[in-house]
Amino acid sequence: MSLHQIDIRDAFFDQLYLKASSDKNIIVLSADMDAFSLRRFAKDYPDQYINVGVSEQNMINIASGLALSGKTVFCYSIASFATLRCFEQIKVNICSLNLPVAIIGAGAGFSFGYDGPTHHGHQDLSSMRLLPEMTILELSSNDLAQKAVDYSIEIKSPVYIRLDKGLFPEWKNHKISFSKGFRILKPLQKINIITNGYMTRKVLNLVEKLNSNEITYGVIDLFCIKPFPADFYKDIICKSKIIISVEESCVTGGLGSALSEVIAQNEKECKLLVIGAPDKQFIEYGSREWFHKKYNLDEDGILNVITNRLGR
Amino acid sequence: MIYNNNKKIFERKASEIRIRALEDAVRAGKGHLGGSFSCVELLVSLYYGKFIRISSNKPKDPNRDFFIMGKGHACLSLYPILLDLGFISKDRYLEYGKNGSSLGGQLDVTIPGVEYNTGSLGHALGVCAGIAKAAQIDNRKNRAISLLGDAECDEGSIWEAIMFAAEHKLNNLLCIIDRNRLSVTQKIDSEILFGDFEEKMNLFEWDCYTIDGHNYTEIFEALDKFSSSDRPTMILANTIKGKGVSFMENDVKWHHTMPSMNEVEIARQELNLEKV
Repeated sequence: MSLHQIDIRDAFFDQLYLKASSDKNIIVLSADMDAFSLRRFAKDYPDQYINVGVSEQNMINIASGLALSGKTVFCYSIASFATLRCFEQIKVNICSLNLPVAIIGAGAGFSFGYDGPTHHGHQDLSSMRLLPEMTILELSSNDLAQKAVDYSIEIKSPVYIRLDKGLFPEWKNHKISFSKGFRILKPLQKINIITNGYMTRKVLNLVEKLNSNEITYGVIDLFCIKPFPADFYKDIICKSKIIISVEESCVTGGLGSALSEVIAQNEKECKLLVIGAPDKQFIEYGSREWFHKKYNLDEDGILNVITNRLGR
Repeated sequence: MIYNNNKKIFERKASEIRIRALEDAVRAGKGHLGGSFSCVELLVSLYYGKFIRISSNKPKDPNRDFFIMGKGHACLSLYPILLDLGFISKDRYLEYGKNGSSLGGQLDVTIPGVEYNTGSLGHALGVCAGIAKAAQIDNRKNRAISLLGDAECDEGSIWEAIMFAAEHKLNNLLCIIDRNRLSVTQKIDSEILFGDFEEKMNLFEWDCYTIDGHNYTEIFEALDKFSSSDRPTMILANTIKGKGVSFMENDVKWHHTMPSMNEVEIARQELNLEKV
């Protein structure tokens, strides 16, 4: 099957499988978290796969010890538990030692919507942003997922990757550079929408419809939110009159928050409209799309917010 | 046994460490003397007994043993050893406690011979388990040794590591608990955790030995047993917090209190090297 047609988790773990076949120092730790393509990894490379059980703190501590001994470690768990449950282990035992450990969070945003606020993955990016040594990647397409594996191994320092599920076919003719950290999916306009991950496709669909009208929007996939891309200010913010950020994470500390910091610190007169999940623990249950509709993260909702706030 | 031939040397080293720790704390006006004094004989055994296979000539040797002090706040007892064995310079040693110092109240990896940034409790054993696991995977001879405080054992992540180590049969993993029976604020005499501890640890599929943590013969016997076991090993070392200075012993006050000038004089007399 081509990369175009497979689940993004398979794109990611198949690439990890490939890298691990030639690099025996790559170790995968799972906190009892499953993925179809990870089963093949566990079966074929039993010496490079450890299920640590339901113990995220221990998973990070073991990863630290392995990495101190020369291993490159990938830790896999549900986004909320892989970050918040073991935040201090990540801070002290991975980041303060600047170790080559990639933490893979499954259950992006509201994709585990039925499982309640414990399982919602909308505070992972904000929490990881507090860690100075952390690189944070939010993946919007299979080719990005595939290349994120290579990049995580290359940089030999802590990485957090929010890994979604389902089909994320790549867009043609868009080069990926992790050192650049973003890619322009629709040419820059006066109004540009900055997004990433699952929301990217949604925003593109919306813009396809809107751009047929008189106002046109540029779309940028800011897939590396930390370190904040060096050229983003010059290449994107300086060329925008209005920026709209769209993210499937809480607005406290996420993508929009990062953009607001950059805009404010550079005293740029650029209007910013932040669209994301409210600062809230959602004690309610529903599908991802149900949450998106309720909290204005579906296409209609995003459009309504833009129209109301910008008066267009 | 290495101790029988070096008895005087070990006892002298222990006294020197306590005196240095006292003087360093007094000079800087800060430090954790009680918990530093309780683990001196353990540290002397590990370093001067050549149990930890690490050299100041090549502290990052891939074949070394890894030692992580979970109770890094007891660094006042480790710094004199690192100085004596050539890991750190005299200049750096004397920086302890100064503003902007490169030697502080916790251990960090900028110090040669230190593997880990200490300060937050409950992590050391898990990190050591990862180190031990890596050696097992690669069929290398490294051993991972952690020294924990007894109050630290309330941290749940330690118990996650204990189960992991047993499941993976990490016989290159050693955990020593400095059982000095005092936390920052209270006595920890409860038997809920440490009562029948050997039996409990055996049920977790660890070897476990309870020893007098100030008695070299018992310390070395337990270390020997670790070296020949096929399971992870726990040593519960019964110690006295503040050991060596009568008014500091077994008193919760001396977790991080600084002695008055009068008390310093008494402590100096009691730790007098001439008595060794």
